Amino acid sequence: MRSVLMLTAVLGLLAVFGPSLAPHDPTAIDIPNRLAPPGGVYPLGTDAIGRCVLSRLLHGASWSLGLAFLVSVIGLIAGTLIGLVAAMGGRFVDWIVMRATDSFLAFPDLVAAVVIAGVLGAGTGSLVFALTVTGWMRYARVARGIGLSFGSRGHVIQARLAGLSPVAIARWHYLPALAPSLVVVWTGMLARAILGISALGFLGFGVQPPTPEWGTMLLDARVHLRSTPLLMIWPGLAIVATVLAINLAGDALRDSLSPQERSA
Amino acid sequence: MTALVDVLLRAVVVLAGTALATFALLWHAPGDPALAIAVARYDAVVPPEVLDQIRAQAGLDAGFWSAFRHWITPILTGDFGSSSVSGRPVWPDLRDAIALTVPLALAGLAIGLVLSVPLAVFATRRPGGWLDRSTVAVASLGAAIPAYWLGLLLILLFAVHLGWLPAMGAQTAAHMILPALTLGLGVAASLMRILRSGLLEARGQPFLPALARRGVARNRIGRDHVAPHAAVPVVTVLGLELAFLLEGAVIVEVIFARPGLGSFLVQAISARDFPKVQAVVILTALLFVTVNLLIDLTYRLLDPRTGSRDA
Amino acid sequence: MLRVEALFVERGGRPVLHGVDLTLAPGRTLAVIGESGAGKSTLIGAMLGIVRSRSGSVTWDGGDLRTAYPSLVMQEPRAAFNPALSLRRSVMEPVRARRLELPDGRIGRLCAGLELDPGLLDRRPHEVSIGQAQRLGILRALIASPPIVLFDEPLSALDAVTQKHTASLIAALQREEGFAALVVTHDLGYAAAHADDVVILRNGRIEEAAAAQSFFRAPRTAYGRALREAALALGALERIA
Repeated sequence: MRSVLMLTAVLGLLAVFGPSLAPHDPTAIDIPNRLAPPGGVYPLGTDAIGRCVLSRLLHGASWSLGLAFLVSVIGLIAGTLIGLVAAMGGRFVDWIVMRATDSFLAFPDLVAAVVIAGVLGAGTGSLVFALTVTGWMRYARVARGIGLSFGSRGHVIQARLAGLSPVAIARWHYLPALAPSLVVVWTGMLARAILGISALGFLGFGVQPPTPEWGTMLLDARVHLRSTPLLMIWPGLAIVATVLAINLAGDALRDSLSPQERSA
Repeated sequence: MTALVDVLLRAVVVLAGTALATFALLWHAPGDPALAIAVARYDAVVPPEVLDQIRAQAGLDAGFWSAFRHWITPILTGDFGSSSVSGRPVWPDLRDAIALTVPLALAGLAIGLVLSVPLAVFATRRPGGWLDRSTVAVASLGAAIPAYWLGLLLILLFAVHLGWLPAMGAQTAAHMILPALTLGLGVAASLMRILRSGLLEARGQPFLPALARRGVARNRIGRDHVAPHAAVPVVTVLGLELAFLLEGAVIVEVIFARPGLGSFLVQAISARDFPKVQAVVILTALLFVTVNLLIDLTYRLLDPRTGSRDA
Repeated sequence: MLRVEALFVERGGRPVLHGVDLTLAPGRTLAVIGESGAGKSTLIGAMLGIVRSRSGSVTWDGGDLRTAYPSLVMQEPRAAFNPALSLRRSVMEPVRARRLELPDGRIGRLCAGLELDPGLLDRRPHEVSIGQAQRLGILRALIASPPIVLFDEPLSALDAVTQKHTASLIAALQREEGFAALVVTHDLGYAAAHADDVVILRNGRIEEAAAAQSFFRAPRTAYGRALREAALALGALERIA
């Protein structure tokens, strides 16, 4: 749990304070210095229209991380609620909810996100909606999978007899036990969201230019692959380092949970 | 028998749900659907009376459910309609695109299997050994590298720097190598993790040391006791890899400017050619529901105790 | 007054309770006795609506028993408490859930009656002994002054000395509070010492229902006699006759 908190803190700081560390305006155009190599005024060089790559990376961090955080937290809340409804609602509700979940899982989520974001029209709102709609199912499955066994637990039976409302039972008797597993899923979904945001950006369906975002930076850099290959190295490294850090923290967290929670 | 009925019923409900979600998405897409149909049909500016007529024909004026009925009926008979941009029927073009993507996906899967299976087998002979640890490290790194960056790196190395392979297009067999490698490395990374944990579990079966003490050869233990146990999750993995391959194809075909299902979809979305988009969506859903159905049934065959995967 | 009429429960197409009838008046104790698998726990589950019954009715003073907020004391003491919450929170759950006003000093009086240190309430379930956990379970069952308390093998997780002690505390509290007690048990000694009436359950049917005194003096059925002889042979029952 501590590693995840630390990581969240570091990534959060990067997302919040990254932009203020940027040496330049990420959208300022400097045509005479276009495609400049690293060094001097521009520590990591400039892109095709002379914008500072380092500044764009740092501002891009707050876009990528901020949006990924937003998407994964909305998914966490929605998916947990849906999973709890399935677990607590009885067999019929469970069957319906799980078939709805299967419908969304019947699709590779990135393909679905591309279709949704593309059909709704490019923009940050469509991007968030597309990644959230395709990103709640794992939470729902985990919440439902663990929660299903809870109906027969002593303290849940006692709470029902005491007259506690279903919402309060979910809050006090289900959530505390679900939380560790949900946090593990959340780390995985945070990494997926970062990959999804940059993939949609790379395909042109994500955050729109001139906003700096790692995926759109890669898309821009692709054209100059032969002349200025470094341009595509930086955003790629940023994505890989972030996703790797999140995945490793998630693995460590999973291993620190008890075997019982791991198998759930 | 009831199990079979249950599995089939689930598949039908899931397909219906996917169709409904797809239509809801198109229904809420910005723009006037009647206008889109008019442009597709007449390729010209049409008077408002014609638009009203189209609305009535397509059930658009009678609300969501009526429009859904008009929309789903031809699809159920296998009629995917015509492109709203070119006016050409969707199905022949889609078929050609699929025919281009299938070999790429198979090549990617083959590369993934060739790289991951031997490595996972050797690595798990000594869990925690250097080979095992480096395998895990490479697999973790592989899971974090998105296909679009990996593809660009491969182009940079093999096409730009070394000049060994062509990067863009699909003219020759050599054009297939880099895209297939991009897909294959991604498949290998994900397969390695799953195979490793499956093999570790299979090798940890409590009766294996007893067999070894009785003098059963190591290779025979592996063939008769470890491989079958590790094979069960492989069925699931193949389902997951199929999703991975399709996602990968979208990305890889865009990077390498290859025609195929992925670029078909991306171009259709960019052109707002909804008949093409929905055809891809529905075929994909059908494919995945079928695969999941087969996986479910295979599970029941391999292990009668498993009522269903989410039980 | 508790009235159970023709309660019928099926599990997997097989009947587990075949039309059980019971009555229990306020302040009285009814022991439901039977061997493992006789349907005792199913009976409690069906009465509380935890287990679905196929037919029959369970009423308190003419209304659905559940609307009278019956309490339950469980066999496994710690399972009744949420490991994530303090014992005080769990004990107060019925009060909080129904927004009741507790009379001043009620927790203190009940704790005294159960010989519990009120400081235990600030601990978590795994930080108290099994015996303490069970008395805390009784505290939670009594806190909102329920008209009836159902006890599901309340003593079987405890050692012999603690069993006797806990049983006498329950009896004393019942005299003070006046709740009706339905106790499911396989312990004839307990029933003989504390029950006003007994019901013998066997294979989901009531084999014999009688006042405790008359049952322990002279069971009417062969099965009742066998149970009594076995208990006498084990020394679990003092010779009453």
